[in-house]
Amino acid sequence: MIELSHVSKHFGEETAVDDITLRIAKGKFCALVGTSGCGKSTTLRMINRLIEHSAGEITLDGQLIENYDPVKLRRRIGYVIQSTGLFPHWTVARNIGLVPRLLKWSGEDVTSRVSELMNLLGLPVAEFAHKYPHQLSGGQAQRVGVARALAADPDILLMDEPFGALDPITREKLQDELAKLQARMHKTVVFVTHDMDEALKLADHLVVMRDGGIVQQGTPLALLQHPADPFVESLLGGLERGLKQAALTRIKDHMSSLGPTLPAQSRIPGDFSLRQALSMMLRDHSDRLTVVDQQDVPIGELSLRKIVKEAQLDKG
Amino acid sequence: MSLIDALPTPKLSRQAWQPNVVVLSLGVVMLGIVWLFSTVHVAPNRIVPGTSYSLWQAIGWPGALLVTLLISAMCFLALVPTRTNYRAILVLVLVVLLLMPFGLMVAGHWLMDPDHPQARLGIGPAYWALLFILLLCLVELRLKLGVNRLTTTLLLSAVGIVWWLCATWWLENLALIQEFRARDQQFWRAVWQHIRLVSIAVGVSIVLGLILAMLMRRYAKLQKAAFATLNFLQTIPSLALFGLLLAPLAWLAANVPFLAQAGVSGIGTTPALIALIGYSLLPIVRNTYIALDEVSIETLDAAKAMGMRSYQRFWQVRFPLALPVLLEGVRITAVQAIGLTAVAALIGAGGLGTFIFQGLGQAAMDMVLLGALPILLLALLVDSGLGALAEALRPGGRS
Repeated sequence: MIELSHVSKHFGEETAVDDITLRIAKGKFCALVGTSGCGKSTTLRMINRLIEHSAGEITLDGQLIENYDPVKLRRRIGYVIQSTGLFPHWTVARNIGLVPRLLKWSGEDVTSRVSELMNLLGLPVAEFAHKYPHQLSGGQAQRVGVARALAADPDILLMDEPFGALDPITREKLQDELAKLQARMHKTVVFVTHDMDEALKLADHLVVMRDGGIVQQGTPLALLQHPADPFVESLLGGLERGLKQAALTRIKDHMSSLGPTLPAQSRIPGDFSLRQALSMMLRDHSDRLTVVDQQDVPIGELSLRKIVKEAQLDKG
Repeated sequence: MSLIDALPTPKLSRQAWQPNVVVLSLGVVMLGIVWLFSTVHVAPNRIVPGTSYSLWQAIGWPGALLVTLLISAMCFLALVPTRTNYRAILVLVLVVLLLMPFGLMVAGHWLMDPDHPQARLGIGPAYWALLFILLLCLVELRLKLGVNRLTTTLLLSAVGIVWWLCATWWLENLALIQEFRARDQQFWRAVWQHIRLVSIAVGVSIVLGLILAMLMRRYAKLQKAAFATLNFLQTIPSLALFGLLLAPLAWLAANVPFLAQAGVSGIGTTPALIALIGYSLLPIVRNTYIALDEVSIETLDAAKAMGMRSYQRFWQVRFPLALPVLLEGVRITAVQAIGLTAVAALIGAGGLGTFIFQGLGQAAMDMVLLGALPILLLALLVDSGLGALAEALRPGGRS
């Protein structure tokens, strides 16, 4: 668990982070979102003491971070940055094995851990272990970056715009894989991004920052439903907000049981999002869909009227 | 894979071939030179200037025709410079280089009177120019074919060995060889002295330069002062610096017996080394400083964030990444020191410069060459050797 309480950071006259209080529960995915220069990266770098905070308290599992040796603290915390920061003179395998070697693991342990991680991140050992970073594409290099951060199995993962430099297709793919990894590993993740869609997709807890302070924090759904001010609302996409919220809601939670009327022609799986359901209604010119399970057996139905009504209720 | 990576790379073979102007013009210049200037001259003894002979006089019409043919072939191949043709030009250049000592042998056989063992065969301007231009061609071909430095060095070494074999076994009449024969022990001692002076000067400069560069990184104020001093030192002419050191060192040697015992004196090795180190420091310090400073902040930041301690960050990340640029500094310094050490002969430090200054004094140009050629060769060897090392040490073997 990471707790920041009334934390500030001053660089000379300038205040980069201004009195923020934030609690990230164990195993949760927290995204810091905001425009550039809002202090989100500084906040992240204070957690592994790359930057020392000026005021307030930062604790890790109840211990003040000043009480840890900074070097040992950093070895316990995974760190991924946008430019990957891979060592250009080391092979992929050597880059990934860095922290375990620093922790003095035995040679075999390091080797087996490196292969395990490379397989986990879709980098076949035979093909990639002996490549150098400059021989990799952007997406492959960032996979190596994530593997390196996970190498010593840290509880905490800090990610500073890790997918910011990738093309949209690769970015989306890596986001999906990160979500899958997180569902299995339950790391405590602090993720900095300026891409609200990325944050909405990945985060359990969303923190919107501006001018060094926290404007609003909460679950993605809570923020979408009740944005605190026009700034948060514009970050969340203004008019698109309704659709973004629908993207976070699963069909199963809003369907009604099969009625006496004939089932609708269009079928949609229950674990799809409401956004996808709306899209299908528009495409098929239908205001009703039949909801099916994974074996394509009807389990309920979804009507446009009901979705719209419940969205209003949520707001009220 | 990013979208940029997915774009097809333009294929070279699709382009219409432009003639390689460099090789073409070098070839034309070579043709002009071998026909217009003298290739060898024969002198009855060491001092008297000899008679010059042109190409066809030296190796006969068939030989002259062969040379013309080979060079013309290079020009024709350069008109359509495909990769295969570049390879062919490379082979032709090497063939000419290999044939050149045999040309001297033929010339010696035809022009020298066996009854005059004192007579000597001198190398003329066309011959030197041809050698020089062929080396220029090699540089161009190396770039065009992307041959690495190691291969080039090996090829040239092979050519060098053939030359050396010819020189030792069959070229006794050559003036240069005669100068060497007359003082071969002195020659090898001078080579050894030269190498020793250069190695000590460069070695000490590397250690001092590393320490100085690291101090300058820590203390910003030192940086300005140190660079100002070193830059100033570099502007003093070498001869003047040797002269300037003469008086204070002589005084020290006379007044401090301990230093005199350690070999310090106004002339000889000590002032030469001091001056050489003074000159060598600037390129070493500058390159070391820049090399260490150039390492990407993000890489170092990542190293810190992974939990590397500061000495680990320096020795495992910063230093190896800086090494190629740092070695480049060593290369420049070593080549510069090899040249400067020639001047050190004037203050009695020995080395190959001795022959140059003796030869100048006696108006014996072949003796000057006996000093100058090995210096040139040494510089080329060190240059390509260290260059190849720096290339091999690029991160991930990247060229």
